[in-house]
Amino acid sequence: MFNGAQTRFAIRPLLLLACAAVASVPLFSQGGPARAGNAPDISGEWRLENSEDDTTAQPPLGDYTGIPFNDAGRLRSDTTPESIWGTPEYQCRPHSAPHQWRGLGGARILKEQDPLTRDIRAYHIQFMRSLDRPVFMDGRPHPPAWAPHSWTGFSTGEWIGNTLKITTTHLKDGYLKRGGPQTSDMYSMTEFLTRHGDILSIVTVIDDPIYMDEPYVHSTTYAYDPTASVAHEVCNSSAFAENGGTDRHWVPHFLPGENNARSEWLKDENWFPPEAALGGVRTLYPEYRTTLNGTVRPDTLKVPASRSALTIDKRIAEQSPRDGQVHVLPVQGNIYMLVTDGTNVTVSLGPEGVMVVNTGPAQMSDKLLTAINQLANASVLPPTTNNCAGVSCPGAWGWSSPYMNAVISSPAPPKPVRYIVNTSASPDNVGGNLKIATSGFFPRVQGFGAAVESVGRGASIVAHENVLNRMTAAPAAKQPAVPAAAQPTDTYFDEFFKLPAYVNGEAVIVYSAAAANTDGDSFVFFRHSEVIAAGDLYSTVSYPVIDVAKGGTIQGVIDGLNKIIDLAVPEYRAQGGTWVIPGRGRLSDTADVASYRNMVTMMRDRIRDLKSKGMTLQQVKAARPTLDFDGRYGSTTGPWTTDMFVEAVYRTLQEKK
Amino acid sequence: MRRVAYLVVGAAVLAGTATYAHHSYAATYDVSTEIKLDGKLVAFSYRNPHSFVTVQAPDKDGAMQRWSIEWAGSGQLAQAGVQHDTLKVGDEIVVVGRPSRVRGEYRALMVRLTRPSDGFNWGGRAGQVVD
Repeated sequence: MFNGAQTRFAIRPLLLLACAAVASVPLFSQGGPARAGNAPDISGEWRLENSEDDTTAQPPLGDYTGIPFNDAGRLRSDTTPESIWGTPEYQCRPHSAPHQWRGLGGARILKEQDPLTRDIRAYHIQFMRSLDRPVFMDGRPHPPAWAPHSWTGFSTGEWIGNTLKITTTHLKDGYLKRGGPQTSDMYSMTEFLTRHGDILSIVTVIDDPIYMDEPYVHSTTYAYDPTASVAHEVCNSSAFAENGGTDRHWVPHFLPGENNARSEWLKDENWFPPEAALGGVRTLYPEYRTTLNGTVRPDTLKVPASRSALTIDKRIAEQSPRDGQVHVLPVQGNIYMLVTDGTNVTVSLGPEGVMVVNTGPAQMSDKLLTAINQLANASVLPPTTNNCAGVSCPGAWGWSSPYMNAVISSPAPPKPVRYIVNTSASPDNVGGNLKIATSGFFPRVQGFGAAVESVGRGASIVAHENVLNRMTAAPAAKQPAVPAAAQPTDTYFDEFFKLPAYVNGEAVIVYSAAAANTDGDSFVFFRHSEVIAAGDLYSTVSYPVIDVAKGGTIQGVIDGLNKIIDLAVPEYRAQGGTWVIPGRGRLSDTADVASYRNMVTMMRDRIRDLKSKGMTLQQVKAARPTLDFDGRYGSTTGPWTTDMFVEAVYRTLQEKK
Repeated sequence: MRRVAYLVVGAAVLAGTATYAHHSYAATYDVSTEIKLDGKLVAFSYRNPHSFVTVQAPDKDGAMQRWSIEWAGSGQLAQAGVQHDTLKVGDEIVVVGRPSRVRGEYRALMVRLTRPSDGFNWGGRAGQVVD
């Protein structure tokens, strides 16, 4: 008789093979929206059947049996403690998507129908600890790579025979199971829902090539139960960290090798091969047994592993495409995000005109200005029919009526660019200053802001004074001096710079991030729109760029990220709310910035630990302290490599307080 | 043993009591160890999915720290007769708990709470377990 772990060890490879086989059968696809008449009805109340091994997915801590982890996935999981839930940003996060079906409390599936055709437009899946999860059946595409990620991701579905195939992208980082095995934020998930009478089987395929050598597959079974009602957990999070102490920015983590949980459970089950407990693709297949009797060495074992369907480097790069184009993403309130050849430009549109945070690379200025003008034009109300005629209507009427003016003349022209904020002096942030500023208008004559006479009536440019210092310094050989009209006109040196009056109906505050990427970084908070333009402090496509020669430090980056987190508030269950536009990469929320802050803090602590042991920079690099995040943020080529990041951290580490 | 734990969890859910933690206690705390804290209550957060008692008490080196003690959710506590005003700021209390697995954290899982001034105590009796 096998005990629990023995059963899991012996059966899981077979189960995985069976599931993979089902998933790979090329079934006929009907395509198009599903009609109510030809697909099984999966709506209703469903009860989780605890009939499968490990259904509740609470394996012993450090038990990665059956997970095709690579070294990065293992390290990430070993160093991420469950205490991470105690940080204010994560206290109310729902279960991660791979665990939702196994998270207890039941499931409810609702149908959303087109009232005319009765086509199913979407299914809505609800769990005890989740937000409503729509599965769109109307053939809509998945959002672009620079759109935000959420806990449940963006799902579309199609019927393949009797099975509903759900494809989910845009997921935040999380975990495969409670208590340990982690995912990156770049995985995709495919689910196959098949109804057999009153049984619903769900086969889930999690494809996370950053942490796994092949997709991870598990199955879950539900039973139809019209008397059940999915539980709903109320979550009251707190602004204080549940991890004690007084540091609200505390990031719990284990240093590599510090977490001894892996060996804890093996003490009780010492028959179990320790190597199999680490997971890994070679341990998943029946062929692994040949290594136990010594006939084959584990490192030479060949197994029929499947490959990831994702080209991960490409998918990361797509969040910040260097394609010579400007892509517009409406964000919230007045704010738009313009992905400009890989650099994000933030635009505020409103009745007073345009405010721009950063102006992109110089070679993109024409396209950027065209995009801004198109947006500004679109924001001017087009002519509309008058639904209210005569003196009985409230407001203006007759020749001063906006309706009449709209009909008899063209609409008012859009207001010009009034303000530019440069969050740093980086060429990608100031390259379009000249073009954008001179296209704009700022009323200096008889008004405030006449700091630089030569800029004439161009837009006001706000930046930290070290940005101006850098832009007015003697240029390097063969480099042209920065024209006066492209230089900041209004600078600050303090903790923050408040725009002196509302811009487009809201307060805008420029915060200093001292000694972060450089000595002149800022981020910008649009207080009514609830959007933060983070500048170079935050990127979803690379480690933070720390220019040590220009005053950047690792601690400054962490402090800057923490400032952003202090200002940002989620809408509900650790998601949405205040949006954060990174310098490069996808639109984000508080939890995304917290995840990045956690990563940067972990890297600081690991490198400090190695340095405190007397390691040289070369020895630290050789120890690969960034291994678990290199697939996500690292690079071996280009302007900012992993080695450069490690060196910048190493050189700017402060002594631990 | 693990199967027994699953059965307990399953029974609790079927009974309609949301006691299944969203995070794992065994993964968060060193459940093989207990620590004792003798200090003053500075906050009582009575909420879901977990309540927290904050205690100002010395660490093993004698330095005063803010300790965050994870307790059951408000629903489970209410069933055990613990209300939002059962504990008051300033109460001198003694807490026995399981410490966090993470070095440097001042966090523990509630096992027993005692208030010597009136003899109030929680822990050890049926239903008085954070599960």
